[in-house]
Amino acid sequence: MSEKDIPREGPGAAVAPPKEVEIIELDGHGGHTLEPEWKRLPIGPDHILYPLLVGIALFPILMGDSGHHLADDMPDDETHPFFPDHFWPYPVIIIVMMITLGLLAAFVQKNLQLESPADPRAVTIPRPDWYFLFLFQFIKLGPELLMAVVIPTGIIIVFLLWPFIDAIAGPRTARRLGWKRWPVPGRNLYSGAGFVIFLVIIALLELWALAGPTACLPWFTGQVCGA
Amino acid sequence: MAIPHPRDVQLAVVNWLDERYPFTKAIDEAMYQRVPNFANAFYYCFGGMVFVLIVLQLLTGILLAIYYVPDARGTPQPAAYTSVLFIQNNVYLGWLIRGVHFWGANILILMVLLHMARVYWTGSYRAPRELNWMVGATMLLLILAFALTGYLLPWDTKAYFASEVTIKIMGLPPPPQLGALIKTLVQGGPVVGPPTLQIFFTAHVFLLPALIVLLMYVHFRLIRAHGIAEPL
Repeated sequence: MSEKDIPREGPGAAVAPPKEVEIIELDGHGGHTLEPEWKRLPIGPDHILYPLLVGIALFPILMGDSGHHLADDMPDDETHPFFPDHFWPYPVIIIVMMITLGLLAAFVQKNLQLESPADPRAVTIPRPDWYFLFLFQFIKLGPELLMAVVIPTGIIIVFLLWPFIDAIAGPRTARRLGWKRWPVPGRNLYSGAGFVIFLVIIALLELWALAGPTACLPWFTGQVCGA
Repeated sequence: MAIPHPRDVQLAVVNWLDERYPFTKAIDEAMYQRVPNFANAFYYCFGGMVFVLIVLQLLTGILLAIYYVPDARGTPQPAAYTSVLFIQNNVYLGWLIRGVHFWGANILILMVLLHMARVYWTGSYRAPRELNWMVGATMLLLILAFALTGYLLPWDTKAYFASEVTIKIMGLPPPPQLGALIKTLVQGGPVVGPPTLQIFFTAHVFLLPALIVLLMYVHFRLIRAHGIAEPL
């Protein structure tokens, strides 16, 4: 192969031409107020703990550029820096959580013990875990198709589309009520009370199921017992 | 030749990176950006706790998958059942890993519910965060799907019959042909058996983790773009 046959450019180039390193500039982050130098931790790029800062900062860096946030327009005394002021509770939470989980794993073994191997011929009444127990009880209250499929699917759809339902139906309801605005559920008699009632119904169903198979109550479809 | 001090090596690496990307500037901005004071309320931590728990579930799940055998064939004790017994009784700290995975799943569901209740109560789902609410709500459904598929894996009587009820409910939607099709697809056959375990294991270990990691990424990107919502 002669000298002129050697490809000079492109993939597999035998002799790559020198390239200038492109320096990518981040967006201006206009409005962000960073901590002044004197308020920062004395951990510069040559400090032994710098890789730790890099580790913490990698997450937001990987998550992309931040937009214009609420804190950018707030006075300094109403905000605080992410590190260490906002960050410190998380390591504490992680440690507490790990200890709690370890203690639960060590001392509450009852739920972890296996029953006999699965046998389709066995006769047993299953009882789901707590997070499905209310649904298990709810299904008993009416026709199976309605209670197990139609209503839960409807609730899931409302749940997923709630921001749009709130944005469309909320202001209309507010106008009808003569309200100036439609507040958030925490300050709203209707959406707030609706949420609390929903939670109370779930809690009652859960308690009913937990009361066991002897806790029977009369219902429209006949006697309904707990799980 | 003198051996360079580790500090000089570190500085050289940082400088090298800085020449190619504004590395130190990006770290400064990430570390010291301002956060509103109201975000210090304890209930703003629930989302972070959910993230920590999901990571913990992924880690303990990987450790359990080393010993778990998703095979429901064989009598009287199928490999799936004996492998869970082996993890529980023989593997070094296996009881702890399994216990943490089990209780972690329970606390995870609780934390997701608390997080969503907080988001609802403070109106943080409102514009422009509607999409993030939908992503979060989908993640809750995925976590419930995790719980559902994970429940069958020990392949004991309780798991078998609970999953049978769940699959029966999945087969209810009309018309009957559609219900029967869904049921057969989920079960992998006419009854709950070894193919069902294989399908649930695949969903629990491959499909659902991939989906939840993807949705978590989208969720965090949107949070980063919008910032913390002001309680209205």
